[in-house]
Amino acid sequence: MALLDSNRAAASPKAPGAVPRRVGARRQDNLTAYLMIAPMVVLLGVFVMWPLAYSVYLSTFEISFYKAPKFVGAQFYKYVLESADFWHSILIGLSYALLVVPTGIVIALLLASFIKTLSKRVAAFMKVTVYLPAVVSTVIASVLFTFMYQDAGVVNWFLSLINHAPIAWLNSPQWALPAIAVPGIWLGFGITTLILLAALLDIPDSYYESAMLDGANFFQRLRYITIPLLKNVLLYLFVTGFTLAIQMLDLPLIMTNGGPTGATTTPNFYIFNSFRELTPYATSYSLTASLLLFVVLGAISIVIFRLIRSDKAVDG
Amino acid sequence: MPRRRSTLALAISAAVAASLALSACGSGGGGARTEGGKTVITFWQQKFEDYQQAWFKKQVDAFNASQDKVKVDYQVQPADTWAQKLKAAQAAGKAPDVQTTSYGNIPAAVTNGELAELDGLLPASAFDDIKDNVKSFVTFNGKRYAYPMLVEPSTVLYYRTDLAAAAGLDPKNPPKSWDELVQWSTKLTTPKVKGMTIASAAPDLAWSSWGLQYNACGHLPIADDWSKANATDPCYEKLLQLYKTLYQGGLMPKTPKVGYADGASYGQGEVAMMAGGSWVVGQLKAEFPNMISKTAVAPFPSIDGDQTKTTATLGGWTLTVDAKSKAKQQAAQFVQWLLAGDPAIMADFFKTSGFSKYTVRTSVDQALAGNPDASSDPFMKTISTKVVPYGKQEPAYPYDIALAFGTAVESAMKGTASIPDALKKADEKINDVIKKQSLAGTQPRR
Repeated sequence: MALLDSNRAAASPKAPGAVPRRVGARRQDNLTAYLMIAPMVVLLGVFVMWPLAYSVYLSTFEISFYKAPKFVGAQFYKYVLESADFWHSILIGLSYALLVVPTGIVIALLLASFIKTLSKRVAAFMKVTVYLPAVVSTVIASVLFTFMYQDAGVVNWFLSLINHAPIAWLNSPQWALPAIAVPGIWLGFGITTLILLAALLDIPDSYYESAMLDGANFFQRLRYITIPLLKNVLLYLFVTGFTLAIQMLDLPLIMTNGGPTGATTTPNFYIFNSFRELTPYATSYSLTASLLLFVVLGAISIVIFRLIRSDKAVDG
Repeated sequence: MPRRRSTLALAISAAVAASLALSACGSGGGGARTEGGKTVITFWQQKFEDYQQAWFKKQVDAFNASQDKVKVDYQVQPADTWAQKLKAAQAAGKAPDVQTTSYGNIPAAVTNGELAELDGLLPASAFDDIKDNVKSFVTFNGKRYAYPMLVEPSTVLYYRTDLAAAAGLDPKNPPKSWDELVQWSTKLTTPKVKGMTIASAAPDLAWSSWGLQYNACGHLPIADDWSKANATDPCYEKLLQLYKTLYQGGLMPKTPKVGYADGASYGQGEVAMMAGGSWVVGQLKAEFPNMISKTAVAPFPSIDGDQTKTTATLGGWTLTVDAKSKAKQQAAQFVQWLLAGDPAIMADFFKTSGFSKYTVRTSVDQALAGNPDASSDPFMKTISTKVVPYGKQEPAYPYDIALAFGTAVESAMKGTASIPDALKKADEKINDVIKKQSLAGTQPRR
């Protein structure tokens, strides 16, 4: 408000004598504002903006740590964009995200709705149980699931009960991605469930009560009350879920090494792999691919924001 | 060989180290410094079999105790974060003074100016001791950039004599041709034990099939002057067919627990035959000693049964000195002491390895000649007389090219492409790498 007052005063021609003092006050207010955002701006500048700008600059060189870097302009951008493997990895990342995020959210929503109906003690127990996978390290989960997927593992044992031949889950091109998506969902749904549960508990019971009086069934209540009121939370879960899932590295690294025949080569795994080569070409190529992945991820987030428009909740 | 350990164990350490590497790029970096009047040089060793770490540690301690001018700071780095850590160290100007470098990685490093020329740093006599065929592995344009430590063939056939006899096969007469290999694998496959194991994932196939690529066609899938790809040669179709038959015929595990470099499936009795590097002899002796009496080795079967054709490449390790090291002379002094000095030091190494690796110096051969363990070892005799003499040097081209061919083999095995299509795709990919990395005419001249 002080800022507005001083603006108004400064604009007024009837108070000439007061102008310098009020301009001074405005300057001081602005200074305070700048000072307050300064730490964040400096931190962002030092740790985000400058490295990003410098990376873009570096990506126009073939970087060598032993010889003078060679300026190549946008050559590496062309190479990455032309590379079928790069686009294939983006596709794999998107497929993985599509397998993991919606499934995870649906399971989490069902679980959260279920937990909401439970008594306090049982709910507390369920919350701990559901959250447990979230504290398991990805590495341990990967190893666990790798063993479950073995030829003679527990998954194939279940198949044998229905007289089905064992499936080479992690070594067949069509099954490998769904197979690594399962631990992906398992690791992620704990935290999603808790967030959704908190959001569900935030919806006033009176809405449901009046809907039931009007004769709304479960699906109508879900369609017209629960989902609209969860919109912002769902948006958050979709955007963070998608960007995290597309960037998945550990599961394919440990479980499939990106294979078979590139079926689980996610974008980050692709970049990681191209960086392993010791040549200057590989260094510059992986740097440029990372920058382009950043653009792709940004674009995907924008699309999701557009699809699910964020509103202020009706309830405030 | 670049990829050497259990995939799982490696992957775990990779994931842990990768997350740490981001925050700790500078830690564990190299660079010579002076400490208490001694020049401290950093030595990075890529993590190999456990006994190797113990051996290196023992020798570094001995070197440090043997004189008071140079102190070696010995650091072990996990294999699959090696490239990332090395690049981070190079970028920070803290590359190790001495490092382990595989034969295959020397050419790219020399081209990029990363390695110090060793001719002026080591006496000429040190190089005279190296066997002639290995000399070329470390020489570029007439200059030496690495001191070799060992060679090890990438592909040898291991087979269970007891299971062969039980299946009515003659253990004294192992398969010599690819057709015979498929026959053996079929007869040895039971519901519990697969007949064979060989690489089935592109990253492993990329390098482990080099010997068989030579075997099938007499050349690698690229022209000698690296000007164009050569992967659509019809002879490669037979190679891909062999892998496909083994995989799709259910003659090998479809979900292997470990990578090519690890002999654990064989050691645990899950397979009756195995394609593996000579280093698996060391692993069997150390981890599965009860398998030794039931195991025999033979040259890997050849396309037409001719066992004088190449079936393996000779990989191996060297020590190199960083071009930017501030203490090149001291670094070279350590390399000379360890690899080119008293033959007893390296003789001890080969003994520790269970004779699963092969010497590169005439004097070390002489030191081992009197060792009854070495002369009586059945594996060593077969491998050194029937495999090593026909082994070829690992190719020096970028890994992307090897991976393109490995992917073709994997696609054929797993049915994502027909054999001719898979090879055509590899051919296109190799041509693309040649173009983008401007490889034509850059093949190393020895």
